[in-house]
Amino acid sequence: MHTLMMNVNGSDVRVDIYPDETLAEVLRDRLGLIGTKVACGEGECGACTVLIDGVAVTSCITPAMKAHGRRVVTIEGLSEDKELHVIQQAFVDATASQCGYCTPGFIMATKALLDANPNPTRDEIMHGISGNLCRCTGYYQIVDAVALAAKRLAEEEQS
Amino acid sequence: MWQEYLFATSVEHALELLSRYEGRAQLIAGGTDLVLQSQRGECPATVMVDIIRIPGLNHIQEQDGHIVIGAQVTHAQIAASPLIREKAPILAMACAQVGGPQIRNAGTLVGNVINAQPAADGAVALFALDAELEVATPEGRRWEPIAHVYRGVGVCTINPCQEMVTAVRFRPLTGACGCNYQRLARRKALTLPTLVVAAVLEMTGDAIKWARIAIGPVAPTPYRAADAEAYLIGKKAEESVFAEAGQLAAAKARPRDSLIRGSGEYRTAMVGVLVRRAIAAAAQQCYGRR
Amino acid sequence: MSKVVGSPQTRLDIVAKVKGTRKYPQDFNMEGQLWAAVVWAAHPHAIVRRIDTSAAEALPGVVRIITSKDVPVNSYGINIPDQPVLVGEGGKVRWVGDRIAIVVAQDRRTAYKARDLVRVDYEPLPVVSDVFAAMQENAPRIHEDRPSNILHHIPIRKGNVEEGFAQADVIVEGEVSTPFVEHAYMQPEAGIGYIDEEGRVTVIASAQWPHDDLHQIARMLDLPEDKVREIVPAVGGAFGGREDMYIQHLLALCAFVMRRPVKMVWDREESISRTGKRHPFYFRYKVGATREGVLTAVQIRLISDAGAYASTSIPVLNNAASFAAGPYKYPHAHVDAYTVFTNNAVTMAMRGFGATQPPVMYERMLDQLAEALHMDPVELRMKNLLGDGDISITGNAMWGGVGIKETLRQAALAAGWRQEGEHWVKPDLGQPSAPHKKRGIGIACAYKNVGYSFGFDDKSEAEVILRLKMDGSIASATVKTAAVDVGQGVTTALAQIAAETLGIPVSRVRIALIDTSDVPNAGSSSASRHVYITGNAVYGACKAALEKRERILLEESGELNVSARYLYRGRSRRPTTPYDPETGQCNPHIAYSYGTEIALVEVDAETGETEVLKMWAAHDAGRVVNPAQYFGQVAGGVHMGVGYGLTEEYIQQDSRPRTRRFSEYFIPTVLDMPRELVSLAVEVEDPTGPFGAKGLGETPTLPTAAAIANAIHDATGVWLNRIPATSEMVWRAIHGKG
Repeated sequence: MHTLMMNVNGSDVRVDIYPDETLAEVLRDRLGLIGTKVACGEGECGACTVLIDGVAVTSCITPAMKAHGRRVVTIEGLSEDKELHVIQQAFVDATASQCGYCTPGFIMATKALLDANPNPTRDEIMHGISGNLCRCTGYYQIVDAVALAAKRLAEEEQS
Repeated sequence: MWQEYLFATSVEHALELLSRYEGRAQLIAGGTDLVLQSQRGECPATVMVDIIRIPGLNHIQEQDGHIVIGAQVTHAQIAASPLIREKAPILAMACAQVGGPQIRNAGTLVGNVINAQPAADGAVALFALDAELEVATPEGRRWEPIAHVYRGVGVCTINPCQEMVTAVRFRPLTGACGCNYQRLARRKALTLPTLVVAAVLEMTGDAIKWARIAIGPVAPTPYRAADAEAYLIGKKAEESVFAEAGQLAAAKARPRDSLIRGSGEYRTAMVGVLVRRAIAAAAQQCYGRR
Repeated sequence: MSKVVGSPQTRLDIVAKVKGTRKYPQDFNMEGQLWAAVVWAAHPHAIVRRIDTSAAEALPGVVRIITSKDVPVNSYGINIPDQPVLVGEGGKVRWVGDRIAIVVAQDRRTAYKARDLVRVDYEPLPVVSDVFAAMQENAPRIHEDRPSNILHHIPIRKGNVEEGFAQADVIVEGEVSTPFVEHAYMQPEAGIGYIDEEGRVTVIASAQWPHDDLHQIARMLDLPEDKVREIVPAVGGAFGGREDMYIQHLLALCAFVMRRPVKMVWDREESISRTGKRHPFYFRYKVGATREGVLTAVQIRLISDAGAYASTSIPVLNNAASFAAGPYKYPHAHVDAYTVFTNNAVTMAMRGFGATQPPVMYERMLDQLAEALHMDPVELRMKNLLGDGDISITGNAMWGGVGIKETLRQAALAAGWRQEGEHWVKPDLGQPSAPHKKRGIGIACAYKNVGYSFGFDDKSEAEVILRLKMDGSIASATVKTAAVDVGQGVTTALAQIAAETLGIPVSRVRIALIDTSDVPNAGSSSASRHVYITGNAVYGACKAALEKRERILLEESGELNVSARYLYRGRSRRPTTPYDPETGQCNPHIAYSYGTEIALVEVDAETGETEVLKMWAAHDAGRVVNPAQYFGQVAGGVHMGVGYGLTEEYIQQDSRPRTRRFSEYFIPTVLDMPRELVSLAVEVEDPTGPFGAKGLGETPTLPTAAAIANAIHDATGVWLNRIPATSEMVWRAIHGKG
C-alpha cells in the first residue's frame, strides 16, 4: 500500500491505496465522491474529468499517486454548499443535460477551458470540449451553456 | 498492474532506480499510453518511476541554435507555446491534434515518441524536423537522431534498464521555411489517424531548396519519403511538382490494412493526395510570408 | 389553452445532474457488499465440455463461483425465453455474450482477477457469421430445436405487383445494407443485488422495463413476483439497449445465491462487446412510377441478422416490414421480410426499432427514381406521401394527424427550395469551400410507430396521490409510474401533464422513485410511447383523483389524502391487429410520428471525407409537451443519425467483436456534428394523444443517415451500397474501386 496525500476540493486528504489505483477509483470508491463518473475507462470520453492544479485530466487513466501533493477539484468542489457555480447554472438554463452521466465531466472541462480562456469563440469552445463525449444531447446546447457561462462570468467580473 | 509507484527526484535518481530494479521498472511521464498498456497486460513492469516532478525537464527554449523541449513537456504546452508556433509551427499543429484536451494536458511529447507508434502525431512532426533525442545514461548524455530510436512498431531502442530520454531538440525553421500538417482520421477528435503527413520545406525564389516529408503509418516506424524529398530539390513550386512528389511518396508507402482505420490500398492513395496538399500548403506559406 | 403543457419547463432532475449528486447504479454501495465478475464465453459457437473453477476458487478473497447449477430456471428472454442465464457443462454457447459463470469475491479487483482463472474447455463448432450462409439448407444450426436458422418470415402482399410494374414508365432497383450499431450509452451496466428487509430479491440497476425484468427474474428464480423487486434510480442513457436484461438478472441471481449484497460494475469493453446491438439489414428493392411521378408498385426483400438469440428480432422485423416502403402511397406492394439467426451479437431494440434501417433504403430508392424521372426529389415525394386516411402497404387507412407532408414542406422551404405550384426547385448550394470539394443536398422522410403494435396490448398504469390542504385545495401531488427516464425527459413531461390536469404548478408535483414494489407497471421506455401511453395514464389518474376529491369535498369527509389509479390501454382508442400470415394486411400501429431531414454536405472528392455543413430537421411529434427538451431530443437523434451515416460501425470478424472500446467505435464528437442544426417543430396533433401529443424519442434519428447518403450522391453522383459512408467507402465509389 502507498499513502496518498492530496488536497481535494479544499480539504487535505490522506488515504492508503494500492499503488496502481487510478485517481477515479480513489475519488469514487475511497473518498465517496461519486460525482466523477467512469464511462470508458481509457481516457477516451472525458466523463471522469477532474482538475489537478487547475489542469483538466481524465482521472480514469491517471495513476492516483500522480495527485500526491497536488490540489484536486472534482464536480463536488465546484458548487459551494447549496449554490450552483455559474457554469452549473448555465448548463441548467441551456438544458445542456439529458441522462446526465457525461455532465460532470463536461462541466469540469468547461471550468478548465474558461479559466484559461475566459472569452472563447464558439470554435474554441468546441475544441475545448472535444475530449468529452455525449450520446444524448448532440452537443449544441452544451456549447450554448459554455458560451452562456463565459458571458455570465465576464459580467460577474465587471460588477 | 504495478506494485510500486515511485517519484524520481532527478535524472540520476531515475537511472539509479531503473538499474536497481533490473528491468522491472518503467519510467512514466503522463501515463496516457502506459496506464492502458498496463491495464491490458501489455506492460510487464511492476515498478513505475514517475519522472514528472524532476526539476529541469519542463523547458521549451532556444539554445545553441536548437529548440530544446524537456521530457515533461505536454502536447498542450507545445501547442500553446509561442516559441514553437513561431519557429516550428509544424510541431504545434501536430501536437494540437492528439486525442483531446485532457489527453494533451497529460501526455508528453517525449513519452509519445518512446511509445514508438508509426502514426504518433508528435513523432511524425519530429521526423520532419530531423529531431534528436537526448538520452541520459549513468555514463552521461548523448544526442540520438530520432530515427535511430525506433526499432519497430511499439519498440524503441532505448534500454529500459539503463537509459532515459530527457529532451528532444531540432533546428528552428527560418523565415524562408514553410510547413504543413495533414491528418486524415475517422473522426475529428479522440481518434488515432488513418494517415498523417508532416511537410517542411525551404524555398529560394520560386524553387524549393529542400523538403522533408514525414508520413505515418505507412511503415513500422514514421517514414521519411526520401525519394520525394530528393525529387523536390531545386524544383519550381507548382502543381505538377507537388503531384509528382505525392506519387513518389506513395510509391514506396507500405501501409497495412486496418479494419478500423482503413485499407492499405486507400492509405497508399491518400499518401499521394496528402503529400501533394502538404507540400503545396507549405510552399504557399513561404509565399505568404513574403 | 394549456398553461403548463407546451411551456418550457426546466428538467426536474437537472440540478442534481450538474452537481454530480444524481446517483446511478454504480454509485450505490451497501454495507458488507461483495463484488461479482462475469466469465464470458470465449467462443461464438461451441459446446462447453468442462468448467474448472478450482484455480479461481483458490484465489484469496474469492467467496463463490456461481454456475448454471445454481440457477433454478436456466432460461430467460424478453420475448422468447431462449437464452441460458449461465451455460453449464454440456451446454452450448451461441455468441461471445453468453455467460459461463459469475465469480463473487471480496472486492472488484479480486473478482476480475479470479474470472481469468476459471478454465473452460470448449469444443468449437462451425461459426455462422453471415445471414446468407445461415439461410442455406445445410447451414450449421444455431438453435437445434428449430427447423432452420430462419427465425421468422413476414410476407406483405397488397394488390398485384406485376400489374403495378407493368403500369410503370420507369423502374429502378438496387441493394443496400446497414451495419450493426452499438448503443454507446455513457453509463456502463452496473448495480447491486441484495435481499431486502422483507426477504425480497432486490436489484438496483438501470432498466427500461422494470416490471418485465421482474417477471423474467421471478421466472428464473422460481419465485412469485411479489418476492422480487427492482429499483431504478437513474439511467445514463439507454436507446433500447437496456430493454433486454443484461445485468439485472445476474445481480438477482447473485443476491439469491449469496443472501448478501453483491455489486457489479462492467467496464466499457464488456458493455460494448457482450451486449446486444441494432439489427443490420440487407435490402433489395425495386420500384416503379408513371412518368408523372406517381408510384405504382414496390417490391422489397429485407433480411435482418437476429444474432444468436431471438430477443425482439420478430417485433423489430414486424416494424421494419411495415415501414419498408416508406411513408408513401403504393397501390401494389410485395414485401418479404426475414430475420435469421447467426453467431453474431444478439440484435435487439435500438432507437427506431426496425424503422431506422429502411429509410436508408427507401429514401435512396425515391431519389433514384426522381433522377430517372428528371424530377425534383421534393416534388416526387409531395406527389406520393401519405396523408390522413390514405391506405398503406398493410392495407390500413392512416389515422388522422399525418404530418409528414408538412414536415417535408417546412424543411424544404427552410433549406431553400422554391415552390412553384406543383413544382419544387432545388436551391443553389453556393460555392464549395475548396476546388476539390463538392456540395450536395439530400432529403429523407421517415415515420415511426408510437406505442406497441400488431395487436399487442400496450398499456400503462399510473397512480396519483393528492395531498389536500384544509381548504380542499391541492398542496402537492405524487405521481407513481414506472416510466423510466433514460434521459429523454419523460419524468418532467409527465409532471407537466399532471400539473396541467390538476391545475397546479409543476413545482408541486413529485414523480416517485421507480421501485416495482411501490409503483405500477408502465411498460417500457421505448417505442417513443411514454408521453402518449403513460401520459394518457397519468392524465386519467389525475382526472380520477380530481373526481374523488370532488366527492370528498361534497361529503365533507375531511380526508386529506386522495389517491387514484388509472390503466390506459392503447387499444381503447386505437386497436391494432397482427399481420395476416399470407397477405400481411393488418392495422399495425397505435399512433405515428413523422419527420423530414435535409442535409447539406461537402465531400472532399479526393479523400472521400464528408462534412455536414447544415442540417434541417422538421419533426411532427404532435403537441410538444416541453419545448425546452424538444431541441435536445432532435439534436440527440441527429447525433446518432450522423454516427449511423458517417462514423459508426460495430465490426465483428467470424462473430468475434473487433470494435470493443470507445477508441475503436466512433460516436461523433462535438467536432463531427453538422455545423448548424435547424430544428422545426411541426405540431400536427393526434387527437388520441394527451393534449394532442405523439412521441419524439426516435423519429429524429430515422431520416438523418439517409439524408446524408442522398446528399453525398447529389454531390458526387455515387450511390453508396452501405453505411457508414466512411471516407474510404466514398473514395472507392467515386474512383470505381469497388
